Amino acid sequence: MTTFNINGRNISVDAAPDTPLLWAIREQLQMTGTKFGCGAGLCGACTVHINSEAVRSCQTAVGDVAGKKITTIEGLSAKGDHPLQKAWVAEQVPQCGYCQSGQIMQAASLLAKNNNPTKEEVVQHMDGNLCRCMTYSRIQKAIMRAASDMRTASNAGTERRPT
Amino acid sequence: MNTHVKITKSEPADLSRRSFLVGSVAAGLALGYSAVPGLDSALAATAPASNFDPSVWYSIAPDGIVTVTCGKADMGQHIASTMAQIIAEELGANWKDMRVQLASNDPKFNDPVLGAQITGGSWSTMMNFDAMSRAGAAGRMALTDAAAAAMGVPAIELVVRDSVISHPKSKKSMSFADIVKSGKTTKTFTPDELKAIKLKTADQYTMIGVSVPPLDIPSKTNGTAKYGIDVMLPGMVYGKIVTPPVRFGATVKAVDDSAAKKVPGFIKAVTLDDKTATTSGWVVAVANTYANARKAADALKITYDGGPNAKLSSQSLLDEARRLQTLDDSGQFFVKDGDTAAALGTAAKVMEAEYTTSINIHAPMEPMNATAELKGDIWHIYSGNQFATRSGAIAAGAAGVDPKFVVMHQMWLGGGFGRRLDADMMVPAVQAAKAVGKPVKVIYSRENDMTMDFSRPLTFQKVKAGLDADGKLIAWPTKRWGIPDFLSPSVDKKGPLEAFTVNGADFFYTVPNHNVRAILNEMAHNATPSGQLRSVAPGWTFWAVESMVDELAHASGKDPAQYRIDMLDGKGANAGGAQRLRNTLLAAMGLSGYGTKQLPKGEGMGVACVSSQERATASWTACVAHVAVSASGEVKVKKLTVATDVGTAVHPDNIRAQVEGAALWGLSLALYEKATLKDGGIEQTNFDSYTPLRMSQVPEVAISVIANGEKATGVGEPAVTVIAPAIGNAIFNASGARVRALPITAEAVKGAMKV
Repeated sequence: MTTFNINGRNISVDAAPDTPLLWAIREQLQMTGTKFGCGAGLCGACTVHINSEAVRSCQTAVGDVAGKKITTIEGLSAKGDHPLQKAWVAEQVPQCGYCQSGQIMQAASLLAKNNNPTKEEVVQHMDGNLCRCMTYSRIQKAIMRAASDMRTASNAGTERRPT
Repeated sequence: MNTHVKITKSEPADLSRRSFLVGSVAAGLALGYSAVPGLDSALAATAPASNFDPSVWYSIAPDGIVTVTCGKADMGQHIASTMAQIIAEELGANWKDMRVQLASNDPKFNDPVLGAQITGGSWSTMMNFDAMSRAGAAGRMALTDAAAAAMGVPAIELVVRDSVISHPKSKKSMSFADIVKSGKTTKTFTPDELKAIKLKTADQYTMIGVSVPPLDIPSKTNGTAKYGIDVMLPGMVYGKIVTPPVRFGATVKAVDDSAAKKVPGFIKAVTLDDKTATTSGWVVAVANTYANARKAADALKITYDGGPNAKLSSQSLLDEARRLQTLDDSGQFFVKDGDTAAALGTAAKVMEAEYTTSINIHAPMEPMNATAELKGDIWHIYSGNQFATRSGAIAAGAAGVDPKFVVMHQMWLGGGFGRRLDADMMVPAVQAAKAVGKPVKVIYSRENDMTMDFSRPLTFQKVKAGLDADGKLIAWPTKRWGIPDFLSPSVDKKGPLEAFTVNGADFFYTVPNHNVRAILNEMAHNATPSGQLRSVAPGWTFWAVESMVDELAHASGKDPAQYRIDMLDGKGANAGGAQRLRNTLLAAMGLSGYGTKQLPKGEGMGVACVSSQERATASWTACVAHVAVSASGEVKVKKLTVATDVGTAVHPDNIRAQVEGAALWGLSLALYEKATLKDGGIEQTNFDSYTPLRMSQVPEVAISVIANGEKATGVGEPAVTVIAPAIGNAIFNASGARVRALPITAEAVKGAMKV
C-alpha cells in the first residue's frame, strides 16, 4: 500500500512499489486522462505534476510518490477552466487530442513559474512532448494566450515580451 | 446502437434505392434511410416506430437536442463535428443543439458512396456532403410541415432558423423541441423526392464556411474524451503482447512460462492461432493489471522459428526492387498513353533518375489496443478503428464466428494516419479473452507498436523522360513497385493492379507519351506487410514526379514553376484539374514571394504541386519551400507556403489545422523519419530512434485555402505529399545538390553538392 495525495484527495493504492505511477492512476484510480504513449519518457503523454513539477508518470514508481502531492489533468482545475484549458479551446488546439493532457500539464508547470515566457522558453520547455498530429504552432499560441490571460488576471501589468 | 445482430449480410448502402424516413419514435424524432431497400412510402408511413430505428443518421430529442451518429472514424480531423455541421446547415439547427456520437459497425452506417465503414483517402467530407445535406434538408421539411399544420399556416410562409420555425406574418413560432414533443412529425421521402430536394446554394449558407467550435474539442482538454485504451469493463484483465524479432513470418516453437508464473496476478500466456494471417508468432501475457502483464511478458521465454524473412534487410528489399525493375515484362501498366519507346528514340535529350523512400512508421500517440468481451454469443470489441467493416471481420475470424456476431464499439482515435485501417489488435484481444474467459484489454507497448507497424513500404521508382529540342517533355515511362490491396484492373488487362501504390503517377501534366508500370516487390511485401500511411502512394509518387519535373526544367534552362505551368495546359482529360492545379501553384508562388527577390547565398526556394489523393478525388495543392543549406549539407527549412484548392470550405479553421498538420507530416517524412529492416525485424523501437518532428523543428508555415465554389474536397492528406519534393527542389536551388532518397540527410546533400 502506498499513500499519496492526488488532485486534493489522500488515497492509498494497492500496487507493487515498482509499478509505474501511470498505470496506478489509470487502472487503480480509473483516471484515464493521463495517457500512455511510449513507456520510456520520450513523448510526454503521461505527464503529471508531482509536488508541482511536471514529471513523466510512466517513469515514476508508485513507491517513490508516497506522501507526495500529485496533480493530473482531471485535477488541474475544478471545472476544466484553467487558463491553459480555456486557451486550448480558444485556439482550437487538439486534433486527435491524445497527447493534449500531457501537453497541458507540461505547459502548466511552465506558467506556474513564469507567466511571461518567450517563444524560445516555450519551445525549450515543450520539446519533450510529441504531438503526432503536429498541432505544435497552436500549442504555442495557446500557451502565449494563457500566459497573457494569467498576467491580466493577476494584474501584474507586465508587458508581453517580444517573441 | 448495437442491436444489429439480426443483420445477416453486409450490403452496400445504396441510398438511391432507399426511402428516407422522418418519424416520431419514443425517444424523439428519428431521421434516416429505411433499413429495407425499396420500402414503399405507403408502407413506411404506417410502419411502426421501430422501423425508424436503428437506421438513423441523426435524431432529435424532445428537448431539441440533435444527435448525429457518425459512421466515420474521428482521429483528429473532427469529422463527426463536420458531419453535424453539414446536417445543421440544411436542418436549420442552432449549433448549440448539435451533438455527435460514434457509430457501431452496423452496415447501416456504411459510407453512402463507399458501401463500407472505412475512413481514409481524405474522402469523408466529399463523399458524405450530399447525403448529409439531404438528410438535414429532409428533416427541416418534415419539421416545417408539422409546424405548418400545428400553426394552421402554409408551410411556404415559415422561416427556419436556429432550431426555431417561425411565421413572420402571425408572429407565431415553434422550436424544434416543441414540434418533436407534439409527436406529429412523420414524412417519407422516396429516393426520387430526396434527390429532388433543392439544397441551399452557397450564398444561402449560414453554417458551411463558418468555423463553429468543433464538438469534440472541450473533452480533449480535460481528460474526459474516451479512447480505446480508456475502456474499462467489469472483471476486465490485461494483455501485453510479446512479438517476435521478425516483423512477419515467424512462428512460436515453445513458450516457457515458468518465470512468468512467479509474477503476481499472472493468469496465462496465450499463443495466437491467427487464421486471418494478420499476425505471426505472437503470444499474449494476460494478468490482472497491465503492469503485471508487462512483467509477465518480459518473463516469458519464447523460442521462435524465424521463418522465411528472418535474414532480410532494407538493402535486400531495395536490391530486389532494382532487379525487378530491370525485367522488361514485370508488373502492370497503370498509365499507357502514346508510344514512349518511339518518342524516346526521337528525343533530343533523355534523362533517367531513381527515387527511393524508406520504410516509415505510423506511430500514432495512442499505441494500438483493443478490448474484447464475449457476452452471450456476441463479441463486443472496443477499439478506435478506421475500418469497422474489416476490423469486425478480422475479430470474427480470430474468434471463429460469423461477423454478424461481432459488435464494434467505436471510440475516439488517438491518432489514425491510416494505421487503424489494419485490425491486427483485434486478434490478441479476442483470442486472449477467449482463452481466459474474461474481458481482456490488450495494449501494445510502443516497441510492439513500432516493430509491428503496417508501415509505408520502402519504395523504388525509376523515371525516364525524353525532351524535345525545346526542352518539352515528350515521354515519361516510369516503373514503380508497391503494395497489393484494394486491387483495381490494370489498363493492359494483365491482372489486377494496386492503384493505391501508384496514384499520383497519373498526373495532370500534358505529356504526349506517358507510361507507368507498377511492379509488386513480393519480397518486401512479405517481409514488411504494408499499410496505408497518411496520403499513401502520392507520398512517394509525387516525390519522384515533382523532383523529376524539376530536374527536367533545370536541364531545359527553364524556371521550374513556369515549366510546370506550361505543362498544366488542361488539354484532353486534364481539363479543369490542370487549371485548378496551376492556379493553386500561382497562389503559393504569390504568397511566398517566389522569384521576387534575390535570396542570400545558400538559400533557395523550391516548388511542387500535386493532385492528391486520387485524380478523381483531388484537392489541388502546391507548396513553395524556402530552405537554407549549410556547407556541411545541413538543411534548415525556413518556411513552407502551402496553397490548397478545396472547392468548398465547410470549416475553414479546421481545414487550416489539417493542412498544417499534413504539411508538417510531410516535413517530418522528408527530413526526420526513417525505419530500417535488419534480420527481418524493424530496428527502431521507440521515439529515441524513430524521431517524428518536435516543436523545435517546426518552421514558419503559411497556408492559403482556396474555396472557389466547386464541390468540397478532402484535406487530411494532400499536403503531406507536396512537401518533400518542394524541399528537395529548394535544396537544389540553394546548393546545386539534387537528392533523390527520403528522408533527406545532410550526408546525402553534402555528397550531391558540386564541388
